[in-house]
Amino acid sequence: MTDKAGSHLRRAALYVGAILIGVSVGGYSALAMGGLLPGSRGLDSAGVDVNGWHSDFAIGSSSANPYVRARVARSGLLALSRSEAVYFTTASDEDGQPLREQCDYRIFGAGMPAQWWSITLYDGESRLPMNDDHALSIDASRLNGNSWSALISARRPGNGLWVSSRNAGRFDVTLRLYIPDKNLFSNPQDVLNPPRIERLGCPRGAA
Amino acid sequence: MKRWLGPLLTMLVAAVGTHALVLHEAPRFIMGKATQRMEQRGIPLNRFVLAARMTPQTQTVVRPSPDLAYSICRFDFNRQQGPIKIVMAPYKGYSSLSLFDASTDNFLTVRGNGKQRQVALVAPGANAKGGAIASPSRKGLILIRRLAPDHQSYDRVKQVAQNDICQGATG
Repeated sequence: MTDKAGSHLRRAALYVGAILIGVSVGGYSALAMGGLLPGSRGLDSAGVDVNGWHSDFAIGSSSANPYVRARVARSGLLALSRSEAVYFTTASDEDGQPLREQCDYRIFGAGMPAQWWSITLYDGESRLPMNDDHALSIDASRLNGNSWSALISARRPGNGLWVSSRNAGRFDVTLRLYIPDKNLFSNPQDVLNPPRIERLGCPRGAA
Repeated sequence: MKRWLGPLLTMLVAAVGTHALVLHEAPRFIMGKATQRMEQRGIPLNRFVLAARMTPQTQTVVRPSPDLAYSICRFDFNRQQGPIKIVMAPYKGYSSLSLFDASTDNFLTVRGNGKQRQVALVAPGANAKGGAIASPSRKGLILIRRLAPDHQSYDRVKQVAQNDICQGATG
Protein backbone atom coordinates (compact mmCIF):
# COMPACT_ATOMS: atom_id res chain seq x y z
CA MET A 1 0.00 0.00 0.00
CA THR A 2 1.30 3.45 -0.88
CA ASP A 3 1.58 6.25 1.68
CA LYS A 4 -1.15 8.15 -0.15
CA ALA A 5 -3.56 5.21 -0.09
CA GLY A 6 -2.82 4.66 3.61
CA SER A 7 -3.49 8.31 4.34
CA HIS A 8 -6.85 8.15 2.53
CA LEU A 9 -7.78 5.05 4.48
CA ARG A 10 -6.93 6.68 7.82
CA ARG A 11 -8.94 9.74 6.85
CA ALA A 12 -11.96 7.60 5.87
CA ALA A 13 -11.70 5.74 9.19
CA LEU A 14 -11.65 9.08 11.00
CA TYR A 15 -14.89 10.15 9.29
CA VAL A 16 -16.55 6.81 9.98
CA GLY A 17 -15.53 7.12 13.64
CA ALA A 18 -16.87 10.69 13.76
CA ILE A 19 -20.22 9.55 12.34
CA LEU A 20 -20.46 6.67 14.81
CA ILE A 21 -19.68 8.90 17.78
CA GLY A 22 -22.13 11.56 16.51
CA VAL A 23 -24.93 9.03 16.04
CA SER A 24 -24.29 7.55 19.50
CA VAL A 25 -24.19 10.90 21.27
CA GLY A 26 -27.20 12.28 19.36
CA GLY A 27 -29.24 9.13 19.87
CA TYR A 28 -28.43 8.75 23.56
CA SER A 29 -29.06 12.41 24.33
CA ALA A 30 -32.44 12.26 22.55
CA LEU A 31 -33.45 9.17 24.52
CA ALA A 32 -32.33 10.75 27.79
CA MET A 33 -33.90 14.18 27.20
CA GLY A 34 -37.10 12.65 25.83
CA GLY A 35 -37.48 10.43 28.92
CA LEU A 36 -37.19 7.35 26.73
CA LEU A 37 -34.45 5.47 28.56
CA PRO A 38 -35.51 2.49 30.69
CA GLY A 39 -36.28 3.62 34.22
CA SER A 40 -36.49 7.31 33.36
CA ARG A 41 -39.43 9.14 34.88
CA GLY A 42 -41.21 11.00 32.14
CA LEU A 43 -43.97 13.21 33.48
CA ASP A 44 -42.72 14.38 36.86
CA SER A 45 -40.23 16.80 35.37
CA ALA A 46 -42.43 18.69 32.90
CA GLY A 47 -42.75 22.48 32.55
CA VAL A 48 -45.39 23.66 35.05
CA ASP A 49 -44.54 23.09 38.72
CA VAL A 50 -47.11 23.69 41.47
CA ASN A 51 -45.68 22.64 44.84
CA GLY A 52 -43.77 19.74 43.31
CA TRP A 53 -46.63 18.58 41.05
CA HIS A 54 -45.54 18.80 37.42
CA SER A 55 -47.53 19.22 34.24
CA ASP A 56 -47.14 20.44 30.70
CA PHE A 57 -50.16 22.16 29.28
CA ALA A 58 -49.06 21.29 25.74
CA ILE A 59 -49.64 17.55 26.35
CA GLY A 60 -51.77 16.02 23.60
CA SER A 61 -51.40 19.01 21.33
CA SER A 62 -49.44 19.29 18.09
CA SER A 63 -47.78 22.41 19.54
CA ALA A 64 -45.96 20.34 22.18
CA ASN A 65 -42.20 20.40 21.70
CA PRO A 66 -40.48 17.17 20.64
CA TYR A 67 -39.25 16.43 24.16
CA VAL A 68 -42.75 16.68 25.66
CA ARG A 69 -44.18 14.59 22.83
CA ALA A 70 -41.59 11.87 23.40
CA ARG A 71 -42.12 11.87 27.18
CA VAL A 72 -45.88 11.71 26.81
CA ALA A 73 -45.69 8.93 24.20
CA ARG A 74 -43.68 6.82 26.62
CA SER A 75 -45.34 7.77 29.91
CA GLY A 76 -48.82 8.98 29.01
CA LEU A 77 -49.86 7.71 25.60
CA LEU A 78 -53.34 8.84 24.45
CA ALA A 79 -53.39 11.77 26.86
CA LEU A 80 -56.05 14.37 26.14
CA SER A 81 -55.32 17.97 25.25
CA ARG A 82 -55.72 20.59 27.96
CA SER A 83 -59.22 21.78 27.16
CA GLU A 84 -60.48 18.35 28.23
CA ALA A 85 -57.98 17.15 30.82
CA VAL A 86 -54.80 18.22 32.56
CA TYR A 87 -52.39 15.84 34.23
CA PHE A 88 -50.16 16.72 37.19
CA THR A 89 -47.63 14.20 38.46
CA THR A 90 -45.35 14.05 41.48
CA ALA A 91 -42.77 11.47 42.45
CA SER A 92 -41.80 12.97 45.79
CA ASP A 93 -43.32 13.74 49.18
CA GLU A 94 -43.58 17.22 50.69
CA ASP A 95 -39.95 16.99 51.87
CA GLY A 96 -38.75 16.24 48.36
CA GLN A 97 -37.99 12.59 49.14
CA PRO A 98 -38.83 9.99 46.45
CA LEU A 99 -42.09 8.10 46.96
CA ARG A 100 -41.34 4.46 47.82
CA GLU A 101 -43.31 1.33 48.51
CA GLN A 102 -41.37 0.84 51.78
CA CYS A 103 -42.91 4.00 53.27
CA ASP A 104 -46.41 4.97 54.36
CA TYR A 105 -47.82 8.36 53.39
CA ARG A 106 -50.91 10.40 54.04
CA ILE A 107 -52.18 12.47 51.15
CA PHE A 108 -54.32 15.49 51.98
CA GLY A 109 -56.45 17.38 49.51
CA ALA A 110 -59.33 19.77 49.04
CA GLY A 111 -61.53 20.88 46.14
CA MET A 112 -59.96 20.90 42.69
CA PRO A 113 -60.48 23.40 39.84
CA ALA A 114 -62.17 20.86 37.59
CA GLN A 115 -65.51 19.16 37.06
CA TRP A 116 -64.07 15.78 37.95
CA TRP A 117 -60.68 14.70 39.25
CA SER A 118 -58.85 11.56 40.29
CA ILE A 119 -55.55 10.52 41.85
CA THR A 120 -53.85 7.35 40.65
CA LEU A 121 -50.63 5.65 41.70
CA TYR A 122 -48.23 4.31 39.04
CA ASP A 123 -45.03 2.30 39.33
CA GLY A 124 -41.65 3.24 37.84
CA GLU A 125 -42.75 1.92 34.43
CA SER A 126 -45.85 4.15 34.38
CA ARG A 127 -48.09 1.13 34.97
CA LEU A 128 -50.66 0.35 37.63
CA PRO A 129 -48.71 -1.60 40.27
CA MET A 130 -49.16 -5.33 39.95
CA ASN A 131 -51.35 -6.11 42.95
CA ASP A 132 -54.93 -7.22 43.52
CA ASP A 133 -55.80 -4.80 46.30
CA HIS A 134 -58.48 -2.99 44.25
CA ALA A 135 -57.19 0.28 45.68
CA LEU A 136 -55.54 1.94 42.70
CA SER A 137 -57.01 5.41 42.90
CA ILE A 138 -59.40 7.81 44.54
CA ASP A 139 -61.71 10.10 42.63
CA ALA A 140 -64.05 12.99 43.21
CA SER A 141 -67.18 10.89 42.82
CA ARG A 142 -66.34 8.84 45.94
CA LEU A 143 -65.77 11.78 48.27
CA ASN A 144 -68.16 13.89 50.25
CA GLY A 145 -67.25 17.46 50.96
CA ASN A 146 -64.19 19.44 50.06
CA SER A 147 -61.42 18.19 52.33
CA TRP A 148 -60.21 14.62 52.25
CA SER A 149 -57.22 12.50 53.12
CA ALA A 150 -56.14 9.00 52.20
CA LEU A 151 -53.41 6.58 53.22
CA ILE A 152 -50.84 5.53 50.62
CA SER A 153 -49.36 2.28 51.85
CA ALA A 154 -48.51 -1.24 50.78
CA ARG A 155 -50.72 -2.52 53.64
CA ARG A 156 -54.49 -2.18 53.90
CA PRO A 157 -55.51 0.09 56.78
CA GLY A 158 -58.32 -0.76 59.17
CA ASN A 159 -60.53 1.97 57.79
CA GLY A 160 -60.51 5.12 55.67
CA LEU A 161 -59.51 5.83 52.09
CA TRP A 162 -56.52 3.86 50.87
CA VAL A 163 -54.33 3.81 47.76
CA SER A 164 -52.22 0.67 47.62
CA SER A 165 -48.50 0.97 46.81
CA ARG A 166 -47.92 -2.78 47.06
CA ASN A 167 -45.45 -3.91 44.36
CA ALA A 168 -45.01 -0.31 43.16
CA GLY A 169 -41.33 0.07 44.11
CA ARG A 170 -40.46 3.72 43.53
CA PHE A 171 -43.70 5.24 42.34
CA ASP A 172 -45.42 8.45 41.35
CA VAL A 173 -48.91 9.82 41.68
CA THR A 174 -50.92 11.47 38.91
CA LEU A 175 -53.68 13.98 39.48
CA ARG A 176 -56.15 14.13 36.58
CA LEU A 177 -58.27 17.24 36.25
CA TYR A 178 -61.12 16.72 33.78
CA ILE A 179 -62.74 19.80 32.25
CA PRO A 180 -60.37 22.07 34.15
CA ASP A 181 -61.05 25.67 35.12
CA LYS A 182 -59.67 27.84 32.29
CA ASN A 183 -57.92 30.13 34.79
CA LEU A 184 -55.67 27.22 35.66
CA PHE A 185 -53.65 27.79 32.47
CA SER A 186 -52.92 31.44 33.10
CA ASN A 187 -52.34 31.18 36.84
CA PRO A 188 -51.73 27.61 37.97
CA GLN A 189 -50.01 28.59 41.23
CA ASP A 190 -53.07 30.40 42.53
CA VAL A 191 -55.82 28.30 41.00
CA LEU A 192 -54.56 24.83 41.93
CA ASN A 193 -54.10 23.75 45.51
CA PRO A 194 -52.50 20.35 44.87
CA PRO A 195 -52.63 17.53 47.40
CA ARG A 196 -49.93 17.41 50.08
CA ILE A 197 -48.13 14.11 50.62
CA GLU A 198 -46.78 13.62 54.13
CA ARG A 199 -44.42 10.75 54.87
CA LEU A 200 -45.58 8.91 58.01
CA GLY A 201 -42.68 6.49 58.24
CA CYS A 202 -40.88 3.72 56.44
CA PRO A 203 -41.71 0.50 58.32
CA ARG A 204 -40.56 -1.71 55.47
CA GLY A 205 -37.15 -0.15 54.82
CA ALA A 206 -34.75 2.63 55.71
CA ALA A 207 -36.09 6.19 55.38
CA MET B 1 -6.15 21.61 13.60
CA LYS B 2 -7.56 22.08 10.10
CA ARG B 3 -7.26 18.33 9.66
CA TRP B 4 -9.80 17.74 12.45
CA LEU B 5 -12.33 20.31 11.32
CA GLY B 6 -14.02 18.03 8.77
CA PRO B 7 -14.46 15.06 11.14
CA LEU B 8 -15.62 17.34 13.97
CA LEU B 9 -18.24 18.97 11.77
CA THR B 10 -19.32 15.56 10.52
CA MET B 11 -19.70 14.37 14.11
CA LEU B 12 -21.75 17.44 15.01
CA VAL B 13 -24.08 17.03 12.02
CA ALA B 14 -24.52 13.32 12.78
CA ALA B 15 -25.28 14.06 16.45
CA VAL B 16 -27.81 16.82 15.75
CA GLY B 17 -29.43 14.84 12.93
CA THR B 18 -29.75 11.67 14.99
CA HIS B 19 -31.04 13.61 18.00
CA ALA B 20 -33.79 15.23 15.93
CA LEU B 21 -34.65 12.01 14.09
CA VAL B 22 -35.01 9.95 17.28
CA LEU B 23 -37.25 12.56 18.92
CA HIS B 24 -39.36 12.96 15.79
CA GLU B 25 -39.88 9.25 15.26
CA ALA B 26 -40.27 8.14 18.89
CA PRO B 27 -44.00 9.00 19.30
CA ARG B 28 -44.86 7.38 15.96
CA PHE B 29 -42.85 4.27 16.89
CA ILE B 30 -44.44 3.97 20.34
CA MET B 31 -47.93 4.55 18.92
CA GLY B 32 -47.26 1.92 16.24
CA LYS B 33 -46.21 -0.61 18.88
CA ALA B 34 -49.28 0.14 21.01
CA THR B 35 -51.56 -0.26 17.99
CA GLN B 36 -49.85 -3.52 17.11
CA ARG B 37 -50.42 -4.83 20.65
CA MET B 38 -54.09 -3.87 20.41
CA GLU B 39 -54.40 -5.70 17.11
CA GLN B 40 -52.79 -8.78 18.68
CA ARG B 41 -55.31 -8.58 21.52
CA GLY B 42 -58.16 -8.73 19.04
CA ILE B 43 -59.14 -5.09 18.60
CA PRO B 44 -60.27 -5.01 14.96
CA LEU B 45 -60.28 -2.13 12.51
CA ASN B 46 -63.38 0.06 12.36
CA ARG B 47 -65.15 -1.29 15.40
CA PHE B 48 -65.32 -0.08 18.97
CA VAL B 49 -64.22 -2.58 21.57
CA LEU B 50 -64.89 -1.85 25.23
CA ALA B 51 -61.73 -2.63 27.19
CA ALA B 52 -62.09 -4.75 30.31
CA ARG B 53 -62.29 -2.77 33.53
CA MET B 54 -58.83 -1.26 33.94
CA THR B 55 -56.74 -3.23 36.46
CA PRO B 56 -53.03 -4.03 36.75
CA GLN B 57 -53.78 -7.31 35.00
CA THR B 58 -55.74 -5.83 32.07
CA GLN B 59 -53.79 -2.62 31.30
CA THR B 60 -52.56 -2.38 27.70
CA VAL B 61 -51.21 1.18 27.56
CA VAL B 62 -49.23 3.21 30.08
CA ARG B 63 -51.03 5.21 32.78
CA PRO B 64 -54.58 4.01 32.29
CA SER B 65 -57.16 5.43 34.67
CA PRO B 66 -58.93 2.70 36.67
CA ASP B 67 -61.85 5.12 37.10
CA LEU B 68 -62.61 5.31 33.39
CA ALA B 69 -64.02 2.79 30.92
CA TYR B 70 -62.28 2.91 27.55
CA SER B 71 -63.78 1.96 24.18
CA ILE B 72 -61.18 1.77 21.41
CA CYS B 73 -61.42 1.76 17.64
CA ARG B 74 -58.45 1.52 15.27
CA PHE B 75 -58.58 3.18 11.87
CA ASP B 76 -56.36 2.74 8.84
CA PHE B 77 -57.07 4.62 5.63
CA ASN B 78 -54.64 2.37 3.78
CA ARG B 79 -57.30 -0.34 4.13
CA GLN B 80 -60.34 1.91 4.03
CA GLN B 81 -61.42 4.16 1.17
CA GLY B 82 -64.42 6.15 2.31
CA PRO B 83 -65.17 8.11 5.47
CA ILE B 84 -65.53 6.49 8.86
CA LYS B 85 -68.75 7.09 10.74
CA ILE B 86 -68.12 7.50 14.45
CA VAL B 87 -70.96 7.60 16.97
CA MET B 88 -70.59 7.90 20.72
CA ALA B 89 -73.79 6.73 22.41
CA PRO B 90 -75.19 8.96 25.18
CA TYR B 91 -74.04 8.27 28.72
CA LYS B 92 -75.16 9.72 32.03
CA GLY B 93 -71.86 10.80 33.51
CA TYR B 94 -68.62 12.12 32.05
CA SER B 95 -67.87 10.92 28.53
CA SER B 96 -65.65 12.10 25.71
CA LEU B 97 -64.71 11.01 22.21
CA SER B 98 -61.11 11.68 21.28
CA LEU B 99 -59.19 11.05 18.08
CA PHE B 100 -55.42 10.48 17.95
CA ASP B 101 -53.18 10.47 14.91
CA ALA B 102 -50.15 8.24 14.33
CA SER B 103 -47.88 10.78 16.07
CA THR B 104 -50.02 10.63 19.26
CA ASP B 105 -51.56 14.10 18.71
CA ASN B 106 -55.08 14.43 20.07
CA PHE B 107 -56.51 16.15 16.98
CA LEU B 108 -60.15 16.16 18.06
CA THR B 109 -62.06 15.79 21.32
CA VAL B 110 -65.82 15.98 21.63
CA ARG B 111 -67.43 16.00 25.06
CA GLY B 112 -70.56 13.89 25.54
CA ASN B 113 -72.54 15.97 28.06
CA GLY B 114 -75.12 13.18 28.18
CA LYS B 115 -75.88 13.36 24.46
CA GLN B 116 -75.06 11.24 21.42
CA ARG B 117 -72.14 12.62 19.41
CA GLN B 118 -71.31 11.87 15.81
CA VAL B 119 -68.22 12.55 13.70
CA ALA B 120 -67.34 11.69 10.10
CA LEU B 121 -63.61 11.05 9.68
CA VAL B 122 -61.96 11.23 6.26
CA ALA B 123 -58.45 10.41 5.05
CA PRO B 124 -55.67 13.03 5.06
CA GLY B 125 -56.13 15.40 2.14
CA ALA B 126 -59.65 14.16 1.36
CA ASN B 127 -62.47 16.60 0.88
CA ALA B 128 -63.80 17.25 4.39
CA LYS B 129 -67.26 18.40 3.37
CA GLY B 130 -70.36 18.56 5.54
CA GLY B 131 -68.46 19.02 8.77
CA ALA B 132 -66.28 15.94 8.29
CA ILE B 133 -62.88 15.90 9.98
CA ALA B 134 -59.74 15.09 7.99
CA SER B 135 -57.32 12.89 9.88
CA PRO B 136 -53.73 14.21 9.92
CA SER B 137 -52.42 10.66 9.37
CA ARG B 138 -53.66 7.54 7.61
CA LYS B 139 -53.62 5.47 10.80
CA GLY B 140 -54.76 6.31 14.30
CA LEU B 141 -56.93 5.51 17.26
CA ILE B 142 -60.34 6.63 18.46
CA LEU B 143 -61.03 6.50 22.16
CA ILE B 144 -64.21 6.92 24.16
CA ARG B 145 -63.74 7.58 27.86
CA ARG B 146 -66.62 7.18 30.27
CA LEU B 147 -66.50 7.72 34.01
CA ALA B 148 -66.94 4.33 35.66
CA PRO B 149 -65.19 4.19 39.05
CA ASP B 150 -67.10 1.12 40.27
CA HIS B 151 -68.55 -2.16 38.99
CA GLN B 152 -72.08 -0.82 38.78
CA SER B 153 -71.13 2.10 36.56
CA TYR B 154 -68.89 -0.13 34.43
CA ASP B 155 -71.88 -2.44 33.90
CA ARG B 156 -73.89 0.61 32.79
CA VAL B 157 -71.13 1.49 30.32
CA LYS B 158 -71.27 -2.07 28.97
CA GLN B 159 -74.91 -1.55 28.02
CA VAL B 160 -74.39 1.91 26.55
CA ALA B 161 -71.23 1.01 24.62
CA GLN B 162 -73.12 -1.53 22.54
CA ASN B 163 -74.57 1.44 20.67
CA ASP B 164 -71.21 3.05 19.85
CA ILE B 165 -70.39 2.97 16.14
CA CYS B 166 -67.05 3.08 14.34
CA GLN B 167 -67.86 2.05 10.82
CA GLY B 168 -66.10 2.45 7.51
CA ALA B 169 -68.07 3.06 4.34
CA THR B 170 -67.95 0.06 2.05
CA GLY B 171 -66.83 0.07 -1.55
